[in-house]
Amino acid sequence: MDGEDRLVSVIPVHFTNALEPNLHLHQYPLLTRPLEVPPSAAASGKRIRARVKPKVKRLEVHVPVDTRPEVWNAERSKELGAARVEDDKEKNQELPKVKQREGEEPRLTEVRMRSEQVPQMGVYVLGVLREGRLHLHPISETHQFRPTLTYMDMHTRKTRRTRGDDSDEDDGPPPDPDEPAPTPAPKKEKKPAVDAKEVQVAVRKTGEGSGLQFQGGLTQVRRDMLTMIHAEEDERWDDYEYCGGETAEANEAFEHVFSTSFRELECKTDITSLLKDVPGL
Amino acid sequence: MSEQQQSSGNAGASGSGPSGSGASSSTNPPKVIPSLAKKQGDVTRLGTQKLKFVPTLPSRRAKEEVKKEEPPAPTPSTSTERGRGRGRGRGTDRGGRGRGAAPRPPPVELTASGPFAMGPALAGTSARRTAPRSNFAPIVPQGPGAAARLGAGLTQSSAPSLKREKGADAGKKEEEREEDVYSDPDEGVEIIDMENVRQMDWMAPESLRKERDVGKKDKKKSKDKVKKEEREDGRGTGATSAEAMDVDRQDTPGEEQVNMANALDLSESEDEEELEDIIDDFAQTQIPTEEANVRQERLYFFQFPQPFPVFTSPDSENAALKGHPQSEEGGAAAKSEDGSAGKKVSFADDTKPPASAAPGDKAAEAEARKVDGVVGQLEIYESGAVKLRMGNGIVMDVTAATQPSFLQHAVYVDGEHKRLCVLGEVNRRFVVTPDIETLLTSMELADNPPTFELGDGLLTMDTA
Repeated sequence: MDGEDRLVSVIPVHFTNALEPNLHLHQYPLLTRPLEVPPSAAASGKRIRARVKPKVKRLEVHVPVDTRPEVWNAERSKELGAARVEDDKEKNQELPKVKQREGEEPRLTEVRMRSEQVPQMGVYVLGVLREGRLHLHPISETHQFRPTLTYMDMHTRKTRRTRGDDSDEDDGPPPDPDEPAPTPAPKKEKKPAVDAKEVQVAVRKTGEGSGLQFQGGLTQVRRDMLTMIHAEEDERWDDYEYCGGETAEANEAFEHVFSTSFRELECKTDITSLLKDVPGL
Repeated sequence: MSEQQQSSGNAGASGSGPSGSGASSSTNPPKVIPSLAKKQGDVTRLGTQKLKFVPTLPSRRAKEEVKKEEPPAPTPSTSTERGRGRGRGRGTDRGGRGRGAAPRPPPVELTASGPFAMGPALAGTSARRTAPRSNFAPIVPQGPGAAARLGAGLTQSSAPSLKREKGADAGKKEEEREEDVYSDPDEGVEIIDMENVRQMDWMAPESLRKERDVGKKDKKKSKDKVKKEEREDGRGTGATSAEAMDVDRQDTPGEEQVNMANALDLSESEDEEELEDIIDDFAQTQIPTEEANVRQERLYFFQFPQPFPVFTSPDSENAALKGHPQSEEGGAAAKSEDGSAGKKVSFADDTKPPASAAPGDKAAEAEARKVDGVVGQLEIYESGAVKLRMGNGIVMDVTAATQPSFLQHAVYVDGEHKRLCVLGEVNRRFVVTPDIETLLTSMELADNPPTFELGDGLLTMDTA
C-alpha cells in the first residue's frame, strides 16, 4: 500500500485455547444445504447421531435420509439395508439400537458420513467477531466427511454369490495381494490367476510384524498401514450426542471460544521464526 | 423428388401454420401442441428437418408455471445473443444454457432479467454460502409451511415424470418430455429452469453455477481482479475465467457494450466485494437478526503459517515455569489498547507443544497452557489492506482465501460429556501471511544482532 494508507479501524484481537484440543473443523460434501435432517425425517423424530473412535480419530455422523416415496426406492433400501446390517456385523460397527428393526426388514434410513482426518497446512485458527473484538481459537483437527458405502460391497458380494456370475455389476478392483483376503471364497471363483500370483509372493517372508499374521512380502509401510487398519477396526465406537448449532450445549461451547480476559499476552516468538522454522531452510 | 416438393410445398404453405396453430392452440390442452408441432412444419423448404418448436405451456399449477414461463421468455433472447440461437422451446427447457446453475447473491441481484427473477426463494439462497450461515438457516424451502410445501416443488405426478423434470441431461430429457406427453396425455409439460432445480425439493440435485459469469467478469476493471474473480467462481470455472480474463482484458471496452445492463452493475459490486468483505467482516458491528437463539456472530477461518506465535500469560504460576525450557525474557510488547503492565516470564503454548517439558510440570503446564487474553490488533486500512499486529513486532497481512464451496462446521468434540457440539458454519477463510517488510527487517536485525544470540545455531542458519 503506497501513498497514504489511512488506518480505518483497529480491532483488538483476543486469543484463547480454552477448548483445545477439541475444536475441530468438519467439512462436508454439501454445496448449498446445511447438514440437517430432512423435513420428512424430522417429522418422524429422527435426529442426526454421531459416534467417535477417539484413539484413531475417526468420527461418523449419521444423517437420516429422506424416505419419501417420490425420491426413495423402498425395495432397494431394504436390500441395501440388509447388506448394511451384515456389513456392520463384519466390521464391528453395529448400531446400538437394533430394536427398531424387529419384525420388519432392516432398511437404509441414514447416510453415514465417515471422517477422514486431513493434515493441516499451517495453523488453523477460528475467529469470531463479537462486539468489535476478534477472538481467535486454534483448530486442532480437520476432518473431511464422506458417506460410507461399504454396504455396497457387501451387497455386490451377496448378489454375486447368489447369481454366480457378474450379473449387471462389474467386479471390483482386483484384490490387493498383500491384504489378507477377507472372503477368499468368492474371489477364488473368479480370479484363480490372481490367487496364483498371491501364493508366489507369499513365499518370501512370513510372520513378521508384531505377531500379526501378514501374508508376507510386505514392506514396512504396508505393515504399518495394516496395523492401523486393524487397530481401527478393533476399537469400539463411542456414541456421541450430536448437538446441532441451535442447542443449548452448542451455545455453551460456543461461549468458550471467546476469550474472557483482557490481559495482554506476551509474545515469545518473533516474526523471524516463521522463516527460520521452515523445514529444510 | 415430387414428394419432396410436395412436402416442401406443404411446409411452405403451412409455414405460418405452426406458429399460428401454436398461438391458437396455446389455450388448448397442451397435449395437442407438441403433436401439432411434430406433424406440421417439420420439414423446411429444403427438405431438412426444421428446428422443432415445442411450446412449453404448463397444464397444472398455473401460478407457479406461469411465473416460470415468463422469465424464460427473456432468457432465450439473451441466449441467442450468446450464439446459442436455438428454438424457443429448447432454450427454455434448458434455461438457455447447457447446464443448470445455482444463483449466488451478487449475480442474483444483477441478472434480474434472467431466470434468476424466477422467485424470491432464489435471491435468498446462497450457493456459495456467503450468507451468515452460522445461524443455520436452511436454504431449500424450509419455512414454516415447509411440510406442506415439501412436495410442492414436484409435480403431482408419478415418478417417471419426476425424473423428467429433474433431468440433468437436458437433451435427453427433452425427448423424453415429448414422448411422455404422448404417452401420458394428461401430464403437462412443465417448465423447469435448470438453475432452479435445487429449489424444487429437498432432494433435488444441486444446480451448478452458471458460466455466463465468465463473460461478465471481463467487464470488470482490470486491476488485480484476477484473484478475486477466481474466488467468485470458486470452482472449476475459476481457472477458465481467469484465463478468459487475461485474454480479454484488452477487450474490456468492446465487451462492455454487449452486456451493459448486467456488466456495469456487476463490476461495481463484484469489484468491491472482496475488499469490502474483509472490511465488512472486520469493521462492522453485527446487525442483530430476528432469531434470538441463533448466534449472530460469523465464524471465520484463519490460516496462519507455522509456527504460530507463542503467547504467554503474564501471571501464570511461576513454580511451573522454572523448569520450562522455553522461558525467556520477553521483549517489550506494546500492542493494543488494553495492555497490562505485567511482563513476568511465563510460558504458555497453543498449537505448538513445547519442545521438552519436565514431566512433573506436565499437569500444571497443561492447565497453564490455556491462555486467554489480548494478543494483538487488527488494523484495517483505507485501501482495504488488513494487518494483524501482534507482539514482538509481528505484523501479518490478512487476505481473503479461496472461499469454500462446501459446508464447513466448527465443532467442539466433548469427550467428557460425549457430545459433538456444532459451533457454527465457517464460511469465510482468510490467509495470514507475514508482512514481508517486517520480516525482512527482522531478519536483518537478527543477522546483525547484539551478542546474546551468538550461542544459538540460529545465526548460522541465517547465513546459510
